[in-house]
This record gives sequence, structure tokens and C-alpha cells, in this order.
Amino acid sequence: MEKGVFKKKKDWVDPASLEGVVTFFGSHHALRAENVMRKNGYRAVLIPGPREISPNCGVALRFDFTKKDEVMSLFSQSFVHYEEIHRYPAK
Amino acid sequence: MNRHCYFDNAATSWPKPREVIKAMEEYFSRGGGNPGRSGHGKAIGAARDVLRARELLAEIFGVRDPSHVLFTKNATEALNLALFGCLRPGDHAVATSMEHNSVMRPLNLLASRGVELTVAAALPSGVVPPEAVFKEVNANTRLVAVTHASNVTGAVNDVGRIGAFCRSRGVLFLVDAAQTAGVVPIDVERDNVDLLAFSGHKGLLGPQGTGGLYVRDGDVLEPLMRGGTGSLSDREIQPDFLPDRFESGTLNVIGIAGLGAGLAWLLKRGVDAIMEHDRGLLELFVEQVRGDERFTLYGPAGRERFQKTGTTDTHALSEGRGAQTGVLSLNLAGQSPSRAGELLDREFGVQTRIGLHCAPRAHKTIGSFPDGTVRFSWGPFVRERDVLRACRALREIAGR
Repeated sequence: MEKGVFKKKKDWVDPASLEGVVTFFGSHHALRAENVMRKNGYRAVLIPGPREISPNCGVALRFDFTKKDEVMSLFSQSFVHYEEIHRYPAK
Repeated sequence: MNRHCYFDNAATSWPKPREVIKAMEEYFSRGGGNPGRSGHGKAIGAARDVLRARELLAEIFGVRDPSHVLFTKNATEALNLALFGCLRPGDHAVATSMEHNSVMRPLNLLASRGVELTVAAALPSGVVPPEAVFKEVNANTRLVAVTHASNVTGAVNDVGRIGAFCRSRGVLFLVDAAQTAGVVPIDVERDNVDLLAFSGHKGLLGPQGTGGLYVRDGDVLEPLMRGGTGSLSDREIQPDFLPDRFESGTLNVIGIAGLGAGLAWLLKRGVDAIMEHDRGLLELFVEQVRGDERFTLYGPAGRERFQKTGTTDTHALSEGRGAQTGVLSLNLAGQSPSRAGELLDREFGVQTRIGLHCAPRAHKTIGSFPDGTVRFSWGPFVRERDVLRACRALREIAGR
């Protein structure tokens, strides 16, 4: 698990509670997506990209699937290009 | 001599803010991963360092989408990427007589391969009048390349006017900001810049091995290199999206981590404040040596000489702030630049750069070819007393 997630206790997010997964073509956009989501108060956790969803970039982003529409509009405002958004509950 | 006075910040800035060294140490001791190559903590930490620097660069240059800021190892690589990336045989390109060899050498090679090249003449002060560029642009012109400020004279060019003209004519506008990034405000949107090449280790206060290129539209450029990007790993063709299309191979993450810290330091103080500081030291320097017949000053600071000769070089007479960076080129009567530079260093601990500064045509323009000049260049850590010490040393050497 990535260290930064635990940096501040209040920021801690259990990735298993987030059912949405966004995949990206390149890591710049994955990291930028995480950055703009956190700045705007959305929960976001980078995870190793699940192979069965996307072969493209090493990392994907778990987020609250119920916020899908808001997150998509935030991405387009912030020049974040993503590949796909999936509903992919953690096993 | 208890302390050296470093006056070669136009070659590379020194010292760097403490935070730069700390960020680099942190990366090596605790981070150390390869960005975009994996999903583990070290890879993600490295990717965060890269993203942070990219976002801060976007902020400092007024870029809306940070993915259009591409990392290279220096401004020279960025300029090569821009020039070789967009010019094809049959295209016409315009440069100026103040360009550095990092622009002129690639352009001359391209000219030998069928690119038509025109060099617009700058004034003896080292300023490029926008009109001199405008009159060279024709229907076949693909690109105009202009240095934002000369590395020899520090003269700052009106990139806003040239940019507006280029945009209206559908010509790509490449700005070489090696001397101005971090010391003169730049806004790629306001100034209609299509390609902005910058160095990371000068005004942006990062370590050597960092630099980059802003590209407004990635489709106008061919990459210089192709290779692994960590993305689209199932395919053997280069990705077409930014920044991966132009960033093959592992990045200089430790350098970029340092650059990010330098940018944060800079943004906290503000580019305007740095410019004021540099301007203040320039005024002090000029006041110390002005009127002394033994010194010949070049660039806008040499305006008295232009007034005396009755020149019509009105740009040289402008005293506006932002007309000259923290760079001053001069010569001493009866001393070669190389001898003066040697004495300044050995006897007074004043470190300058002498000679032609990789810009022979610029020295021809200002009348200092082939011997060149003694160039003083400062930055945020140079103090008034360093300038006074340099001027005392100059007077002493000139008296010999």
C-alpha cells in the first residue's frame, strides 16, 4: 500500500469501500486525476491497474462510483484524459 | 579570499535553494522509483514528483493543461525537438541574429537539408525590433524562432508583439526562454507562444540535466526519440498522446524532483520580485561603472554610448523595467576579455564568463566579435555588496 495514503489520518480511505475504477492511457493523467479529485474533496486512491480491465498504464484510480458524473466533468475541466470508467467492486 | 562572488548565473544558477537539495536527497533516500512503470509506492511517489514539477511549470508559464509541458534534459534538447520536430524541406524559418548556437546549429543543419532560413537583424543594443522579424515572414514561413532574452546582452525582446503577429499569420512561434524562465514573467496564452523551450538549471533554480518544452499543439511535432513510456505496453508503436509521445525512456526524476522544489521556492517569492531584485542590481552595477571611459557596456545598459554616437537605436535607450535581465556584458580598455576574466577570478574571486558565450552572431551584432566580452550574470542570491566588490575589482584591473 502506498505510503502517502496514510500520511494524514483524516485522509485515510479504504480502497475496498470505493467501487469505481478509472483507467488511463498514461500515468501523467492518473496522477493528475488523483490530484484534482483530492483538491476538490473527492476520495481517490491510486491502485495497480487491474489487468483484466486495462493493459495500458500501470496505475488506475479507485473512487466513489456514485460520484461518477461529477468526477467526469471535473476531469474534462482539468484536462484529465481517461480511458474508461468501470464499476469494479474490490474482491 | 573568504568567499567567491559567483557571477555566472546565466550559465547555471548557484547556489540553489536548500529545498532543492533536500528534495533530491529525499527522492534518493526514501523514494527512488520509476514513474509510470508500476503501481507500487515508489513508482507512484516518483510520478508525484514529476507531476508536481509539471504542474508548477504550467503555473509559471500560464499553461492550462500541464500535459503540454514536456521534460527534456536541457533547453538545447527542447530546441532541437522543436526545430527538428516541425521543420521539413521546403519550409521557411526565421531566426534572429541574437540566437544562441542551440538554435543556430540545428537550423543551419536543417538549412543544408532543404529548409530555407532567414536571419532577422537585431540592433547594436542586442534588441530584436519586432518589425525586423515581421518583414521576413512570407507565405511559406512555417516557424519564427526568437530568443526571449539574449544570453550575451540580457536584452529582452517583445515576444508579445511577435507572437500576436505570428498567430495572425498562422506561423508557429518558438521562444527560447533559457535566459528568462523564472526571471521575466512569461505567459504562453497572452504572448501567443506555440513552443517554449526552457532550461531547468538557470532561473528556475533546479539542477543540471533538467529542462523542457511547452507545446501548444502536440500534433505539429515529430518526437526526437521513440521508446518505452510505461503506457500502451501491449503495442509496438509510439503513443500519440501528451506527454508520453515525447518522453521515451526513464526521466531524470531526481533532477525533476529538485526542479519542482526550485519552482515552489520561486513561486513563493514571485517572478516579479526576482525581476525587481535583478533590476536593482543592474542599476547599481551600471551606476558604478557608468561614465568611466575605461569600460564599454553592451546591451540596453550601454545606452549612453548609443546616445553619444547619435544612433537611432531607440530600443537601446529604453529604461523600462524588464528591458534587461540580470546580465551585463562589458569590456575593459586595453584588456582582452580572457585576461580580465582570469584576473577577476584569480585575484578577486569574481567568477564571470568570458568570450563568445556560444553566440557568435550575437557578438557580431553588438560589435564584440571575435574577442567577446566579460559577462556578469546574477540571480536571487547575489547581494548588493557582491556587485560592489565586483565593480571595485573591475576598477582595479582597469587601472593596470
